[in-house]
Amino acid sequence: MKILDHLEEWLITFLMGGATLITFAAVIHRYMSGLAIPGLQDWLLSLNFSWAQELCIIMFVWMAKFGAAYGVRTGIHVGVDVLINRLSDRNRFKVIVFGLLAGAAFTGIVATFGGRFIWDNGAHYALLHAFGMDPGDLPEGPTTPDLEWPTWLVYSAVPLGSSLMCFRFLQVTYHFIRSGELPHHDHGHVDGIEAKEMPVDVNVYDMDDNLHPHDIKHPMLGEDEDEGGKQ
Amino acid sequence: MNAAIIFGLLLALMLTGMPISISLGLTVLTFLFTMTQVPLESVALKLFTGIENFEIMAIPFFILAGNFLTHGGVARRMILFATSMVGHWNGGLGLAGVLACALFAAVSGSSPATVVAIGSILLPAMVKAGFPTRFGAGIITTSGALGILIPPSIVMVMYAVATNTSVGALFMAGVVPGIVLATVLGSVTWYRARKFGYPRQARATWAERFKAFRDSIWGLLLIIIVMGGIYTGIFTPTEAAAMSAVYAFFVAVFVYRDMKLKDVPKVLLNSANMSAMLLYIITNAVMFSFIMTNENIPQTLADWMLSQGLGPVAFLLAVNVLLLAAGNFMEPSSIVLIFAPILFPVAMKLGINPVHFGIIMVVNMEVGMCHPPVGLNLYVASGVTKMGITELTIAVWPWLLSMLCFLLLVTYWPGLSIWFPRYLGMM
Repeated sequence: MKILDHLEEWLITFLMGGATLITFAAVIHRYMSGLAIPGLQDWLLSLNFSWAQELCIIMFVWMAKFGAAYGVRTGIHVGVDVLINRLSDRNRFKVIVFGLLAGAAFTGIVATFGGRFIWDNGAHYALLHAFGMDPGDLPEGPTTPDLEWPTWLVYSAVPLGSSLMCFRFLQVTYHFIRSGELPHHDHGHVDGIEAKEMPVDVNVYDMDDNLHPHDIKHPMLGEDEDEGGKQ
Repeated sequence: MNAAIIFGLLLALMLTGMPISISLGLTVLTFLFTMTQVPLESVALKLFTGIENFEIMAIPFFILAGNFLTHGGVARRMILFATSMVGHWNGGLGLAGVLACALFAAVSGSSPATVVAIGSILLPAMVKAGFPTRFGAGIITTSGALGILIPPSIVMVMYAVATNTSVGALFMAGVVPGIVLATVLGSVTWYRARKFGYPRQARATWAERFKAFRDSIWGLLLIIIVMGGIYTGIFTPTEAAAMSAVYAFFVAVFVYRDMKLKDVPKVLLNSANMSAMLLYIITNAVMFSFIMTNENIPQTLADWMLSQGLGPVAFLLAVNVLLLAAGNFMEPSSIVLIFAPILFPVAMKLGINPVHFGIIMVVNMEVGMCHPPVGLNLYVASGVTKMGITELTIAVWPWLLSMLCFLLLVTYWPGLSIWFPRYLGMM
């Protein structure tokens, strides 16, 4: 399980950094090759960066799908929680469980659809082909315009990411039912008025606001002065 | 009828507190399975191609750039520069806070990030200098909202994507209103500081000002790279965003050295986390607006409104009320993605300029970010100051009130927004 966690983090970190560098390199390349520097210009012109934009998009699509799964684990997805945060603990517990299961249901359905879609659009053909079987009249599926990668491979981000997200939703639900705790909103990272340096990974979408449900275990920040019991 | 069912379902699902992206997706699925003849394939395709749009990719890049800038010492130097320029006036550090927020907003695309970057450094300094915490918190919470009005702006990219408006023109249109709003907030600060006799800083000499300017030049240059690059057409907005991310990384790690190389993966992961959340909302919002367009809902709504004899003035008023109300429940990106596709066709039929309409929406979002129950700026400021939300709400009202007046000005004076991009020839 730890391995999966790390793999997920490592993957989206890499995709984020990689996409940035590629786009940066492509822009630099475009302008450098416009400069008349003998030798360098010819070499630069011989490089072809037309695929950069496409690769950047693909990397970000993958980053978005797996990052969304990671977001379930970190509890970052925003919702309309003004009303349910006014409910009693008992009722809020039920509503939160319903919300989490709805998330699992949606991502599960999307994963199934997505899987079927790529299966019909080339994955089936590729699998049979890879094992040396005759694919018959199965479609080979389209390829992407610049990189000419098979689209089913690119689009497999959807079923893979959604499955992972579904799994994360179930994991969070299980944990919530057992302990009453939702993915941690770390209040500790803002150390009050004296702290001058914020930690590098302070997350502005991760404050204890009404965009996220409050769990059962922690009292609410912000409104707790009326109700007593600050953490 | 279909419209009522779609919206009713969406509203019901959202109110259960599940993520907005999930409620949008479930609404679409339910609708698809029960009451439409739209081929499933065309929707499945949207699932894959919904965010395959190079313009959308500006969002993760701007988030990444913002995160590097927040912790890379750029904010601190901008505050020092702002203090050296306006610190000796009434309200000293408070005015410097407004100016620093405006400067930082010109390199960052997000409001809460601006609050974190400026607030976490300036607020402790203000308290030390003898300002009441409330005064500082009020300034930073509201001035931080400049982050999405002064370009670059993530919310503007969202609007551009949802309505097919030019990102460049929107960015340029935000410049003049941004400066005007900064002036308005500054005036309120100045007036209140004079009234209550808050401390002033010693006047900085020109040599000190020049030194502060030179120190902050790396951050200020970024304004020129992004805005100049987009204006001259050297970069597309997305490329400008990627350039600013790399530039911000370079400045934070190698020039100011306020961030270590080993912190970089953490920043990347954190940015990826935030961007993925926003991109996931976009994916589902794209499906949602596809279904709505397919059912002709925005067009029907537009025709109905026109048949009621609704003029531009009344329509814009209704839009403001609707968006301000929505600001009580949702954060800006979701509001723009859900409401822009619905309201935009009506605005077009009434002859409202698309760029002007975008600026109206953005200013509305700014107001929503500064008041409870969901104002992100408010919660971030609460995290920074450890003030309760109730107390912060009282603290922000003078600035919030002036912001509402500014909203009226922006709504009914299109020239304020569209003069500058017209002048530059971008629209």
